[in-house]
Amino acid sequence: MYFKILFLSIVFCFNPWRYNLFGQKSIKDFALLNVDGKYIGTKDFENARGFIIIFTCNHCPFAKLYTKRINELQKKYSKHQIHLLAINSMDSLVFEDEGWTTMKARAIQEKYNFPYLQDPEQVVAKLFNAEFTPSAYVLWKVNNEWVVKYRGAIDDNGENPKIATPYISNTISELLGNKKVTNPETFAMGCRIYYKKT
Amino acid sequence: MKKAVYIVFILIQVNLYSQYNNLWIPDTLSGTQFNLTIKDTFAQLVSKGQQTITSGINGKFWGPTLFVNKGDEIHMNVVNKLNESTTIHWHGMHLPAVMDGGPHQIIPPNTVWQPYWKIKNNAATYWYHPHLHEKTQEQITKGIGGLLIVRDEIESALALPRTYSVDDIPLVLTDRDFNSSNQFTVVPYGDSMLTNMTLRAQYSLPAQVVRFRILNAAIERSFNLGFSDGRNFAVISSDGGLLNAPVTVTKYLLHAGERIEILVNLSGQKGTSVDLQAFNSLLGNNIPGGEQFTQGPFSNFLGHKDFNILHINIGNQTTNPITTIPTKLTTNELLKVADVNITRKLTLSDSAGVSGILGPNAFIINHKLFDINYIEYKVPIGNTEIWEITSSSIFGHPFHIHDVEFNIISINGAAPDPALAGWKDVVFIPGRNGGGPGNPGTPSVVKFIAKFEDYADALHPFMYHCHISLHEDEGMMGQFVVVGSPTDVDDKNKDAFLFSVYPNPTSNKLFIHFSDPSQSAYYIKIIDVLGRVKMMLPSPQIQNGIDLSSLQKGVYKIQVTENRFKNNYTQTFIIN
Repeated sequence: MYFKILFLSIVFCFNPWRYNLFGQKSIKDFALLNVDGKYIGTKDFENARGFIIIFTCNHCPFAKLYTKRINELQKKYSKHQIHLLAINSMDSLVFEDEGWTTMKARAIQEKYNFPYLQDPEQVVAKLFNAEFTPSAYVLWKVNNEWVVKYRGAIDDNGENPKIATPYISNTISELLGNKKVTNPETFAMGCRIYYKKT
Repeated sequence: MKKAVYIVFILIQVNLYSQYNNLWIPDTLSGTQFNLTIKDTFAQLVSKGQQTITSGINGKFWGPTLFVNKGDEIHMNVVNKLNESTTIHWHGMHLPAVMDGGPHQIIPPNTVWQPYWKIKNNAATYWYHPHLHEKTQEQITKGIGGLLIVRDEIESALALPRTYSVDDIPLVLTDRDFNSSNQFTVVPYGDSMLTNMTLRAQYSLPAQVVRFRILNAAIERSFNLGFSDGRNFAVISSDGGLLNAPVTVTKYLLHAGERIEILVNLSGQKGTSVDLQAFNSLLGNNIPGGEQFTQGPFSNFLGHKDFNILHINIGNQTTNPITTIPTKLTTNELLKVADVNITRKLTLSDSAGVSGILGPNAFIINHKLFDINYIEYKVPIGNTEIWEITSSSIFGHPFHIHDVEFNIISINGAAPDPALAGWKDVVFIPGRNGGGPGNPGTPSVVKFIAKFEDYADALHPFMYHCHISLHEDEGMMGQFVVVGSPTDVDDKNKDAFLFSVYPNPTSNKLFIHFSDPSQSAYYIKIIDVLGRVKMMLPSPQIQNGIDLSSLQKGVYKIQVTENRFKNNYTQTFIIN
């Protein structure tokens, strides 16, 4: 029994995907360079109840469909202390259109109302095991940890937002109502995030 | 009562039509300069729900049909806007190996590749598709590909249907698997038939002779083509050109990578419908698509079944209809066995029990997996060769060779069917006869004859492989070079090769001056300061300079591979 506890403790300590006592994945705090030149991260929002994390990029045509919806999510939920952070984890060395300068231009052109952060070493993408752009995560504060309550697509219709099932909004409504999240995972799709070979 | 019957009848008709989707016809490009941009995109392939993430060339899925003329020199401007590398292989084209777009001509993301070649192929339907080793299946699945139609004087002089999308219809056959979110899964066999990337396709055709140019672009499946009413149709062209005369059949088994052109006479049938189908229930389980797997990675809803490819509604004739099928097409001068310089013997086999190879499910050529650094054959330029392929594999494989069109001599000792007796670049090697544990059975033997004229290049090889993309990615592939002289490969003369570039700095064009006027560039790459290849220029025509207008300002390197000894030399220049 002792060795079992010791083994599990070692796994727990070294696993970037931490699990709380209820088996839910949690994410450690992070900060990345925003398009305004400042570093922004989870610790910058003192009273935050949760975060909406969107992995997106500059060039992916499917991700581009969601600009307005992401703006609307930020507008709707920031007043509830739920903040949206968009992250670009594309390899900008291979794909130069994903560099910081182009990110900044895009944020201005598309009037982003949220931080658009560059993850050049793909560290945060690996924390979340993000595979595609766009893909979405909802983090919720549970016992001072950021627990992943939802992962997957932003909704289920890229071209037709009016008939799309709003997975993120549904998740947050349930969390705000102290209810169990009924749909914690959906299939994310879009342009693949290729990880650099180390 | 009559009104009620009419209403019910109309509702039934509406319902029947609504179960079909109108066949998408790819856009076209013609001329001698072609801009192809490969990109990540999406398309509404399933009528309800999420869009499917795809890759396309210029559009949402698949690519434009390119019309070219025999004798023209065509120039491609291929831009890779995917966030991964790819290649574009011009399937069936006779051209220099460095332009071929096989596994060696990798186009990194955000790079321009500019191959060019003179069209020497006969009029027929060819195609282009990715050929990146170990990624071919995935990239073809996502939708990268397109048709390439060659026209020549012989074909143009015939009274054949050739009004694209009216009586001359391209049909790209493939199958796909969709998950619950309408996304492709990368599988050898899909559950859904897609014709021109359309589910449950239908099309209206005029009541006259119509032409179908049919490509099997599936990952693995063969299609046993026929019409729902068992009618005749005429095969007029195989992979590489017209047959001598139309061959009348009621069924044609089309394998992965193969193309045929057929004529069907719909005269006098206005107001009726007929289906083009795959009669795959007639296929044995050693033919791709004939298996009846109920579980595992090869299980699928279409296995060993008959299914629709195209629902055809027959309507009014056009103003200048073709109403008869010609009796004569051309006179092919086939290659002669008497001219053969060598017979090369290849083997296809299963890898089961062979040590050091992948698990038991891989198939191999010449008892080895593909090694990108290993050249199997050095073919002397001008050679006429018989390639004799002996297969002890339990399964049949569509064998494809780059660079040449060949004539089939025999399949298991018998002359090929008339519809296979013309120019081909894909031939089906049947699985062995019989056999089992401890019993090798009787191998299949297929022989074809090919001539390897022009385009000697000891550096860039051509490929031969099974055109089942899964098998190809797993290593069922080999390569050969066409050599012009014994000194091509090994002589590495280090004599100075001097070149200069001007103007430097430049704003849009760069010119190259060779100190030795007899020198030329075999390959040029333009590379940015971070080592990213921005332009790939095989055998470039540099007399008018290199157009750099697609590049941003900055410092670049030009890497020239000189033609004589294939050594690389680099200079730095600036775009301002």
